[in-house]
Amino acid sequence: MITIGFTGVVQTFHGRPIFGPLNERLTAGQITVVTGENGSGKSTMLKLAGQLLSPTEGKVIARDGDHELVQAAFRSQLALVTPELKFYSRLTARENLQFLLGLRGIELKDDAFSALLERVGLREKDIRQTYTGEFSTGMRQRLKLAALLASGAAVWLLDEPGANLDAAGRELVLREARRGAADGKLVFWATNDSREEGAADACIHLSRH
Amino acid sequence: MHVSIFQGIKLVFGKELTAGLRFRAAWAAMFMFALTTLACVSMAMQGGGLDPRLLAALLWVILFFASMAGADRVFADEDTAGTLLALQVYGPAQAVLLGKMLYTFFLLLVLAVFITPLFLMFMDCTVTAPLVLAGTIFLGTWGIAAAGTLIAALTTGASIHSGLFSILMLPVILPVFLPAIFLTTGAFGGDVQLSYLGGMGIYDLILTLGASVLFDYLWFEE
Amino acid sequence: MDIRGDTLLQLFIGILTIAVLGAVFLVVPPAEGLGDYVRLAFFHIPVAWVSVLAFLMSAWWAAAYLRKGSQRVDALSAGSAKIGLIFVLLATVSGAIFSKMTWGAYWNWDPRQTTIFVLLLIYGAYLTLRSAIPGAERRARVTAVYALFSFLTVPFLVFIIPRLYFSLHPSPVINGSGSIDMDPVMLAVLLAALLDATLIYFWLLFRGVRRQLPPAKRQEESA
Repeated sequence: MITIGFTGVVQTFHGRPIFGPLNERLTAGQITVVTGENGSGKSTMLKLAGQLLSPTEGKVIARDGDHELVQAAFRSQLALVTPELKFYSRLTARENLQFLLGLRGIELKDDAFSALLERVGLREKDIRQTYTGEFSTGMRQRLKLAALLASGAAVWLLDEPGANLDAAGRELVLREARRGAADGKLVFWATNDSREEGAADACIHLSRH
Repeated sequence: MHVSIFQGIKLVFGKELTAGLRFRAAWAAMFMFALTTLACVSMAMQGGGLDPRLLAALLWVILFFASMAGADRVFADEDTAGTLLALQVYGPAQAVLLGKMLYTFFLLLVLAVFITPLFLMFMDCTVTAPLVLAGTIFLGTWGIAAAGTLIAALTTGASIHSGLFSILMLPVILPVFLPAIFLTTGAFGGDVQLSYLGGMGIYDLILTLGASVLFDYLWFEE
Repeated sequence: MDIRGDTLLQLFIGILTIAVLGAVFLVVPPAEGLGDYVRLAFFHIPVAWVSVLAFLMSAWWAAAYLRKGSQRVDALSAGSAKIGLIFVLLATVSGAIFSKMTWGAYWNWDPRQTTIFVLLLIYGAYLTLRSAIPGAERRARVTAVYALFSFLTVPFLVFIIPRLYFSLHPSPVINGSGSIDMDPVMLAVLLAALLDATLIYFWLLFRGVRRQLPPAKRQEESA
């Protein structure tokens, strides 16, 4: 079971303190929500959890049971839906997923792909020939979710995943997150939506310095 | 669920090629740059009757700077487009590096195959040892691709861009560049010292291995 | 090093420098064929040596940075490159003057001139890169990788360059084997000058790093 522990984490940005010291523990099988106003460092905390950024002070350690997960071992367990994540705009949805998931050793068969698209509310025949660069923001958001679901990753980082989605889309994210947590995924979710917050098992509130 | 390194390299290479073919601006810029430089040099020299050594130096200067115009984009493009994060999260370090290196090598080789015959024609240059020339171009472009891919990764996110790549490349690539000029001089009618080919091959290997070892430190910021 | 050690070192360097200067101008005899120009060699050879040493040390600390990620070794690696650039400039200029006086041309791509020039390019590239990367952590990491990557040229500088250029420009006056034929007084002065330059390098380097990193940080790092 994967856990991510924050010990004494302080984060500054160009000398300006953002948050800390922070001591938290994220556990698999749970949705942990992080809330806070704009600029309070929610996204930064997600990046720290994903080891995509190293903390100014303190340590962020991911463990699977007893042994520490570092570098490639951790990264291969990671998937995210964040505004910074972008697809290759000159590849189709299928090509993007085939490439990214292929790098994880996952082959995406035709039926699995159709089923996946349906699951995230995209219609295959609408997008078969379309480059993702021509997608709407909401469609891209759904495709990110598709990549995350298909990756089978154990650590999910969601940065306001409902932001560009309609009501049905937000419902979908919520449902999938619950389902993921039930499957034993570690779901770490940055949001300011009180409904999403209400669905969480644990909540971290970041207050502004 | 572990992807073999070979499979990974193939995926990255395939992705680069597909994206490159659909967005031809980068290719076009590189080829046109090479062609323009060649035309300038040829016009200035009025073709014909040049010393083999000078011809060899000119050919490599054209090839080197034309590849600078193409090879520096391999990571910067992903950075600008914002796709670097996805690649970083999903892509294993070595597959990304070697896949991109292979693609750059391929790109430069195509460029060299395009520009060298034109050069020979415009400059009225006779090749006495075609195989040596081919081998030199092969090893030379490999070296540029190997060093260029790592240095392109280094300069991602730098506050200045255009000149930086060439500045960083030149000292590292000199060990490929100088023997390449010597060998090409040989191929254009001078003495051929084949041991330089071996030297270039060894140095290419060193660059490739060095890039591979060092790339992990860039891929995992932690 | 504590403050007292530092003062002692400064004193020693001061005395050594004066002694070397005295020896160079008063003791060393004019060399055959070179005359008084030979005195420049006692400046040129040590600064060239430090140029190379600083490059090796910079790469060494770069490797240490990638292993440990300590701010101090990054500062040492960068500091070494900065001092290296100054020394390599001095070596290039003094070499060019020496070359003009002995061979009649400022520059003729002798193997050693080529080597020093490549070093100059590397130092320049390294420091340009350093100034171009925002964010201390990434800057340290990226430049450490470049320091090590450019270090791969060393076998080339040592083994290939002499082969490429030796036949064109035999170096008639000062070369590796030539120094063995040196008269013992000159050799002793040269060794003293080398030691002096090396000490100056380390003194400048550690002083620079000490000024750059606040004391609290250093205690933390050494703890």
